[in-house]
Amino acid sequence: MKSLRSFMLFGSVLLAWELAARSGWWNPLLFPSLAKIADEFIRFVAGADGLHETWVSLYRALGGFALAAVVGVVIGILMGRSALAAALLDPAFSGTYAVPKLALFPIFIFVFGIGSLSKVALVFLECLYPIVIITCQGARNVSPVLIWSAQNMGASRVRIFGRVVVPATVPYIFAGLRVALPVAMIVVIITEMISSADGLGYRVIYALASLQTDRMLAVVLAIALLGYVLDRALVALRGRLVYWEKLDTFYV
Amino acid sequence: MNTIRYLLTAVLAGAMLYVPIADAADPPLIRFGRGFAAEEQVWLMSARPDLAPNQGKKYQLKQILFRANPQRFQAYLAGELDGGTAPGLAVIFARSQGVDMKILASICLEAAGSEHFSTTYMAKDGGPVKSVKDLKGRTLGVVGIKTATDLWARAGLLNAGLTPDVDTKVVPLGFPAMGEAVRSGKVDAGTFVEPFYSAEVAKGGLRKLFTAVEAVGYDHELLDIWFGEKFLKAHPDAVRAFLADYVAVTKYYLQNTRQAKTDLHKAGFVRTPLAVYLKNSDWKRDPGARVDVESLKKLAVFMQGKLGWLEKSVKVEDMVDLSYLPR
Repeated sequence: MKSLRSFMLFGSVLLAWELAARSGWWNPLLFPSLAKIADEFIRFVAGADGLHETWVSLYRALGGFALAAVVGVVIGILMGRSALAAALLDPAFSGTYAVPKLALFPIFIFVFGIGSLSKVALVFLECLYPIVIITCQGARNVSPVLIWSAQNMGASRVRIFGRVVVPATVPYIFAGLRVALPVAMIVVIITEMISSADGLGYRVIYALASLQTDRMLAVVLAIALLGYVLDRALVALRGRLVYWEKLDTFYV
Repeated sequence: MNTIRYLLTAVLAGAMLYVPIADAADPPLIRFGRGFAAEEQVWLMSARPDLAPNQGKKYQLKQILFRANPQRFQAYLAGELDGGTAPGLAVIFARSQGVDMKILASICLEAAGSEHFSTTYMAKDGGPVKSVKDLKGRTLGVVGIKTATDLWARAGLLNAGLTPDVDTKVVPLGFPAMGEAVRSGKVDAGTFVEPFYSAEVAKGGLRKLFTAVEAVGYDHELLDIWFGEKFLKAHPDAVRAFLADYVAVTKYYLQNTRQAKTDLHKAGFVRTPLAVYLKNSDWKRDPGARVDVESLKKLAVFMQGKLGWLEKSVKVEDMVDLSYLPR
């Protein structure tokens, strides 16, 4: 029933789009019909170019995201469990969270070059913040009862960290990753739109430069689907790794 | 009751009288999308309205700044613009998609000769790129995808027997960053226009590879004035008056370049330091604003045949209408 409702909402949006496109109120070059977008989408997906551009954007996005995940989780847990680390790092993260990192892209180009590295570096920086902040919150919120219990059972500090702190933080880590993943896609597409000779962002600009809005929207659709698939994959991974949340004894 | 009726009648009669008076008093407003480079005559029409005697009488002019051509055309398609400036090749793109617009006048051309500026491609002096052929396996910076700078870059590469995107990567990069990007090796060659060209040449350390004219092999239209066909049909006299002023301003600009540039700088249309701006060499501008139609035809053929940029051919003679220019 829930999926039917979502489908109906999605279908209504598509129907409204098609009706608006066919109404003649807007220029079809500016507001193309779904049929035209679908046609372009099939051409894009079926072509070798489409797959290549998707792969280019994907490895840039996932490269920066993976790097941010590794570094972010380590920093986040450190900040969550160590008052000294929090005192040292928290001002830096809180003070610069609101900075639009995309504005730093020209500097990244000069430091890392015009190719993939500058884009991966910016994705890393943008993704780092949500991962660090949410992981830190998770590590800080580990129930003292769990830690005391482990201590009472004679567990060492390392064992408590590995068997209590990390598992209790994992749901938060995944929450941070889930926030960061679409950010990675958005940043990569925007940087490719600004300065690139390949990738999905480049395809968006390429279509836009010759007023091919239908083609541009087909690429946007491909980006949206890619983002959706990545998100579902991450949710599935979370379901497998954070298995204890599904256990009957979890809330006991 | 009667008083109310008389009052209503008076208001209605007044309104009916007012409409024709208002129409006669307010000439058509031209919502004009402009860019930020090489359009001095157009800017001068707003910076020095005294040079455009028809302005305010036969037409009103509202200039709106746009950073890129696609956005300008989108604004036109959305009904927010009546006309504007654009590179000839951008109008060719738009026409190939069926946009109802026409080129009416020329702003400037890429032309050979030391008296005119032509967009120049430069590499690092003393670096590995001595000629265009050395760009194989390297990167060339242009200002935007499918822009005029992209077209010239690809033409230059093709002339040297290189296949763009295969042998040489063509990447977009802003004009202000181009000099430093070439010097630091982030790109192996870049596109330079005024005022950045003069500034970079003064710094030294860069060598010329080719110019836009050398790349395509002939003088050609760079920037033009276009209008939407609906507006042309609705207000032909306003457009004629606008172009009469534009031609007059162009002649003034060519005869009084120093003063005109000073006025533009004072009005805030140009941010380059005045001393640098006054020294910069300028693009060729036709005093009568006549469009070099043949060059646009050649560009359209090149865009379709060599670059594969157009899926459909464009009839350039249908795209240009010079009948609105003063005779």
